[in-house]
Amino acid sequence: MTFTSLMLALAALPPGPLDFKARNMRIEPQERRVVLEGDVQLDRGDLNVTGEHAVAEYGKEQPAQSRKPRGKPQPRGEATVVGQSVERFTVIGNVQVKRGDRFAKGEQGVVDVPGQTLVLTGTPEFPPVVRDGPETLSGDRILLRLDSEDLDVVRPRLVLRRSLPEEGSAKPAMPVRVEADHLLLVRARRVARFSNDVVMRQGDAVVRSPRMEARYDADGQLTRLELRGGVDVRQGERRATGESADYDAKARTLVLVGDPHLYDQGDVLTGDRIDLSLESKEVRVERARGRLRPEAHGGEGGRP
Amino acid sequence: MGSQNASAKFPMVALILGTACGNPATSRISSNSLPVDAPDLSLSGVAFARLTEGRVSARGTAERLDYRRAGARLEATRGGAVIHSSPPSAFGSVRFVAEQIEGEVANRRGVASGGVRLDASRGDSARTERVYYDGDYIRSDTKVAAEGPGYTVTGNGLVARTDGSAIELSSGVAGQLQAEARR
Repeated sequence: MTFTSLMLALAALPPGPLDFKARNMRIEPQERRVVLEGDVQLDRGDLNVTGEHAVAEYGKEQPAQSRKPRGKPQPRGEATVVGQSVERFTVIGNVQVKRGDRFAKGEQGVVDVPGQTLVLTGTPEFPPVVRDGPETLSGDRILLRLDSEDLDVVRPRLVLRRSLPEEGSAKPAMPVRVEADHLLLVRARRVARFSNDVVMRQGDAVVRSPRMEARYDADGQLTRLELRGGVDVRQGERRATGESADYDAKARTLVLVGDPHLYDQGDVLTGDRIDLSLESKEVRVERARGRLRPEAHGGEGGRP
Repeated sequence: MGSQNASAKFPMVALILGTACGNPATSRISSNSLPVDAPDLSLSGVAFARLTEGRVSARGTAERLDYRRAGARLEATRGGAVIHSSPPSAFGSVRFVAEQIEGEVANRRGVASGGVRLDASRGDSARTERVYYDGDYIRSDTKVAAEGPGYTVTGNGLVARTDGSAIELSSGVAGQLQAEARR
C-alpha cells in the first residue's frame, strides 16, 4: 500500500447528509451555525472525522418556506429565512480523519463542502500528518481534495519508506525522505509533484533540486523520482551535479544527466551520465573523462 | 385571559347557593365536591391570548384549565400555545402543545409533560416527554428528538433560551447535518 492508495483513501466524499455524534449540540440560528462539543464524530460513507469540537456553518440565506417538505405543518407567524445546507465544517482539537485503514490527523480540519476539500493544519510541534501504514506525509498544511482525489501540501515532509522494494534485500531499505515547499499529488496521473527547494535524503545523501516528480505504477508502488531544473547531490565528501536526474526505485540508483559532474576529494569526473547508488555509494560514469588528483583530497568544487 | 365556548364551573358560587337554600342534600353535595385543593376557577374548552404592552404575545387553547389564585397556579390539560417573542428571535414564533401543563404565573415557572411538541416558524421542531420553564430557559431532562433546516438530531436533554438565541441538546447527541456538495 503506498502513496497512490493513500490518495485513493482520502478521496470522493460520497453525497448525502453527514452523520454526527457528540456530547452536546448547540443550534445558533442567528449565526446560522451548529456547534458540536465533546468527542465529536462525523461520518459520511467510509469517511470518518473526529475531534474535540466542531462548528458547522450553514450557507447563505434562502427562503425557508420554499424548501418545506410537502405535508409538513406550517407554524403560524413570521417566516424567517435560513440556509439549509452546511457549507463549512471546522473541526478543532486532535482532529483525526480516517478512511478504511488510512489515517490523517491534525489540530484543525476545515471541510469546504462546496469546494470538496478538507484542509488539515497543526502546530510547529505537531504538524498535520497523513499516514498509510508505515508511510508518512506531514506538512505545514495538507489539503485533501474530496472529489478529484488529489492532495496539495504546503512544505511537505514525506517518508517513502514502503515505496522502496525490499524483496531479496539483505537489510531493510533506507527510507527516502523528501521535503519541499509544495507538493501536489495528482492521482489520475499517478504523479506527485514537488516544487521549490526540493530536498531528498537517503542515509547521508542529500539531493537538491527545484522540482521533482514521483511516479507510481498501477499498484501504487513508487517507480521513479524525476528531478529537473538542476540537481545537486552531496554525500559525505562527494558531490555530484547535473541538469536533471532520475532515481530508479527498483535499482535504487540516481542517474545524473545533462553535463553531469562528480567531485570527490579533488577528483573531477564528467561523462554522458553518472549513476550513483546512494546506499552502497558506488559510482558509475559513462564515457568518463576528467581529472584524478588523489594527492589533493579535500579540494573539491572545481570544474574540469 | 378570555374564554370561548366555556362551560365554566364556579365552585365557590355553587357552595354559597347551596348553603342559602338550607337543603341538606345540597349541603352534602357541596362538601363532597369541594376538596381542599379545589381550583378557584376551572374552565373547559379554553382559548386565551396574552397581551404584552398592548400586543398579543401568545395565543393558546386548552381542553381544560384549572386556576388557583394562591400562587397564581394553573393546570391545563391538552393545551397548546403560539408564543411570539419580542424582539423577534431567529427561530420565529414557537408553537407548543402538551398533554399536561402546570405552572405558576407569578413566578414564571412551569412544567409541560406527556408528549411535548415544539414547532418554530423557522422550520425547527422538537419532541420530548417533559419540559421545564423558568422564565429565561426551557429545559428538558428526557430524550429529545429535533429537526430543522439542515439538521436532525436526538439527544438526552435540552436547554433553550427563551429569547430564541440558542438551543442546546446535551448528554449525548446523534443526528445528521445536511451538507450537499456543489453539482
